Amino acid sequence: MRKRILVLVASAFVLAAFAQAAGVTLDVKEHVLGNGMKILMIPKPGVPRVVCHIYFQVGAINERPGITGSAHVHEHLMFKGTEIMGVTDYAKDTEIDRKIDELMGKIYREKYWKTDGDPVQIAAWQKEFDVLVAAEKAYIIKDDLWTRYMSNGGTGLNASTSQETTGYYVTLPSNKVELQMLLESDRMMNARFREFYSEKDVIMEERRLSENQPGFFFGEQVNAAFYAASPYHWGVIGWMDDLKKMTKQDLVDFHNRYYVPNNAVAIYVGDFDPAAIIAMAEKYFGRIPKGPDLEPIRTGEPPQYSEKRLYGEGPAATSLQMMFHTPPDGHPDTAALSILAGTLGSGGGGFRGGRGGGGGTGRLYKNLVRDKQLAVSASASSRPQWYVGAFQFSATPRLDKGVKPEDLEKEIWAEIDKVKKDGLTEEEIQKAKNKDEAGFIRGLASTAGLASRVGRADLKRGWRSILTDLEDLKKVTNEDIKRVAAKYFVKDNSLTAIYTRKSGR
Amino acid sequence: MKRTVTAILALAFVCVGLGLGQAKHPSELKYPSLKYDPPDPKAFRVEYAGGLRAYVQEDRSLPLFNITAIVNCGGLYAPKEKAGLDTVLGDQLIKGGTKTREGTVIEDRIDFLGGSLNFNVGERTSTLSLSVLTKDLDEGLGMFFDVLMNPAFREEPLKLAKARFVEQLRQANDQPNGVLSREYEKLLYGDNALTWRPTKASYEGITAADLKAFHAKYVSPKNVILAVAGDFAKADLKAKINKLIAGWKGGPVVFPALPKGFPAAEPGVYFIQKAINQGYISLGHLGIEDTNPDYFAVQVMNFILGGGSFTSRITTKVRSDEGLSYNQGSRFTYRWGFPGTFSGYVQTKSSTVGYAISLILAELNRIRKEPVSDAEMETAVNYYLESFADSFQSAQATMMSFANLEMTGKPMDYFKTYRSKIEAVTKARVQEVATKYVHPDKAAIMIVGDFEPCNKGGDKWPGPLDKLGKVHRVNLTDPMTGEEIKKP
Repeated sequence: MRKRILVLVASAFVLAAFAQAAGVTLDVKEHVLGNGMKILMIPKPGVPRVVCHIYFQVGAINERPGITGSAHVHEHLMFKGTEIMGVTDYAKDTEIDRKIDELMGKIYREKYWKTDGDPVQIAAWQKEFDVLVAAEKAYIIKDDLWTRYMSNGGTGLNASTSQETTGYYVTLPSNKVELQMLLESDRMMNARFREFYSEKDVIMEERRLSENQPGFFFGEQVNAAFYAASPYHWGVIGWMDDLKKMTKQDLVDFHNRYYVPNNAVAIYVGDFDPAAIIAMAEKYFGRIPKGPDLEPIRTGEPPQYSEKRLYGEGPAATSLQMMFHTPPDGHPDTAALSILAGTLGSGGGGFRGGRGGGGGTGRLYKNLVRDKQLAVSASASSRPQWYVGAFQFSATPRLDKGVKPEDLEKEIWAEIDKVKKDGLTEEEIQKAKNKDEAGFIRGLASTAGLASRVGRADLKRGWRSILTDLEDLKKVTNEDIKRVAAKYFVKDNSLTAIYTRKSGR
Repeated sequence: MKRTVTAILALAFVCVGLGLGQAKHPSELKYPSLKYDPPDPKAFRVEYAGGLRAYVQEDRSLPLFNITAIVNCGGLYAPKEKAGLDTVLGDQLIKGGTKTREGTVIEDRIDFLGGSLNFNVGERTSTLSLSVLTKDLDEGLGMFFDVLMNPAFREEPLKLAKARFVEQLRQANDQPNGVLSREYEKLLYGDNALTWRPTKASYEGITAADLKAFHAKYVSPKNVILAVAGDFAKADLKAKINKLIAGWKGGPVVFPALPKGFPAAEPGVYFIQKAINQGYISLGHLGIEDTNPDYFAVQVMNFILGGGSFTSRITTKVRSDEGLSYNQGSRFTYRWGFPGTFSGYVQTKSSTVGYAISLILAELNRIRKEPVSDAEMETAVNYYLESFADSFQSAQATMMSFANLEMTGKPMDYFKTYRSKIEAVTKARVQEVATKYVHPDKAAIMIVGDFEPCNKGGDKWPGPLDKLGKVHRVNLTDPMTGEEIKKP
């Protein structure tokens, strides 16, 4: 149930071009159930294990102010039982649970709707609440689903929520895939969000863990400033106010809207016979009624028409970030931006999830870290998300040499100007293509990684987009590189964030 | 062997999928039987020229080649005044170049091929790992052994690395988790090679000659084991490797004496001030080595106590029942040749720090005093048995596991006997090892957080913290100088 902010779109680039070059292909077997749910299968005979993942096309971007964080809260609640799981007497439990919700409804109104709520009344209700929660424990089987999976050899047991998708994972012995089909279809249909209020406390602790990471608050402001209108404005964890005030009904509505089979993809990778998987999927997932069609996100990011700058201080390393709006995944410029990020900041580092990095072979490392010795690290990355993209430069200055973030900003603009004028070298472009090809092959070797990449890609543009993106990447020319650099790397399209180490928050 | 298993499984699936009805509850599910035998290390062991040992598996499923050299050496062998030598060596083995290639040439070439080459220096073992496409096997292998055997440790890249590592020291006290794990180890192990940390002076004192001497002393054919998997023929690979390492020699390695005898920390609270809104907590004492005959019983016991995620007692109590935290549990860590640590851990908002600690201590006491339930035993034992095959999903990871067994002197039938040793663990053994290795009364409780609100506590557990034992205020050290910071 850990939150991971995801980045798979970028790595997905690599898939198919090399498939032809090396005679290796990505072979995904597909089956669509009558209710619209898609079953994808990648058989890999050998060790008798099967990676079983389910992805839903729902994430933080499907929220709105007031319920930010609810995609992630909902993901946690999916582990809190159903009509058959996690409960000894469903009728009796439901009765108590209804009373708990009623009471909490009164407390929330007193606490959050009024400016002068009565603390004595709240305390009295809170006592009643504690009594009911204690009584409900008699009917709750703690973490039943989790125990059931683990005692059957489930590993990699987890779930994660990103801006765009939510995934539920388990790897099982290959004779026990039916358990996953039963438990997952059951919680799609019959989820009951018991222990909602204590779980919200857990999630607020999760948010505090993030808050205690040096520089978190500044990063949150930078993100919010960069995305003024689009729902990428808030983080997956959500604002603390919304976490406090969201109700169980908010989550029930969220579930009913998004956890429908026509919004889901199940993927299996490992040692199995596809015919058996299909038969089981028909039996378990096939019984869930289809839901209404879901409208894509409406709000894009309007043009800035002016440069944004943010300054912050706190207990983290002095650093520079420069961000530029770029088009979403699937746009014709995405491939050139990916090559650019890889070439400028290649080798690891940078912000996770994007192409690029800050290692030893990128231009930024060679020029700013190695030769001029102005930076401790310098990286670039491109993140083509589903609805709005971002390209980011990050660097930390050599304080021992008196270098300031603003000095690095000038240096990075000089590198950008070089690219606008001359583009990249042929060797650099070829290197980027080689790396993507090799990455594609290497990606096929994993099981969980492959499931995640293919399953997520399928939700939005179909898994074959992995192959067409790679074809697009092979076609990128130096003219494309110069063109996209000139188009996107302009001040009116940018946010520059400068952070300086100071003690205190 | 594997093919047979697959065929049986496929058949079984069809039976389940088509033959039986839809289960309403997991208890109704009947699973076809599944037999899995782990691979036998002997089938993969090879010896190359000069006594270089290897575990090698052909895996033709994809055009990839992976090789790792595990070297019996690590940061533990660096003297105190050279603390940080491991970090610098990890960076410079490749970046410092070889006798015939500049580091940057190697990095650029590997990158151009879409490959990777990494060196990592651990506590007592270090690993050099290469991954390339099969078509680049010869070129990659050439660079791999060149880096392993002939590093040059050039001055310019070394100078840059030292300056960057000194700059990075500024961040050493930033992350509450990083501070906690470092200071907790210092408390449990005391002042020796296990806990020495680099400073500006120690980094600056590291010379190319130090790196050369360290490399020359430890990196020799008899002190290295390879793990190799991928798309090649074993015999061809042997010829290639033997040619590349012809003439590679090295005498017997004499290892420095290892630290031993770690006086127990005084029980009580050790508080490190940081202006954050949670307390980050580890509580415990030294644990055991993984060669201890009680190891398997300890694994099962800790799974039930706080290692088995949501099925474990600490998670159920602290997270699920009380909503106090996102991360919590208990863990035994292991290190080669030393006892590891045992700790309960949690991060929770300042006002519930004392309460969360009290709940964890109560669970530590309970598992010592009461037998665990049959259901808890069943979940823990079944988890280890049923997930066993997971360890062998990747050919390269399997070869690494075998090489590590041999390197650390563990029995080579470790995996073969693993499941029977887990099966032999009983409820009585669980309680026996809990009593033997879990000592809440001797626990050092370390907290990184904001003292005033933590000390004040909350409704369910009002402070002060000295209810948990004598409170020691621990000052951090300045990462640049290694000297204590008197006022944080």
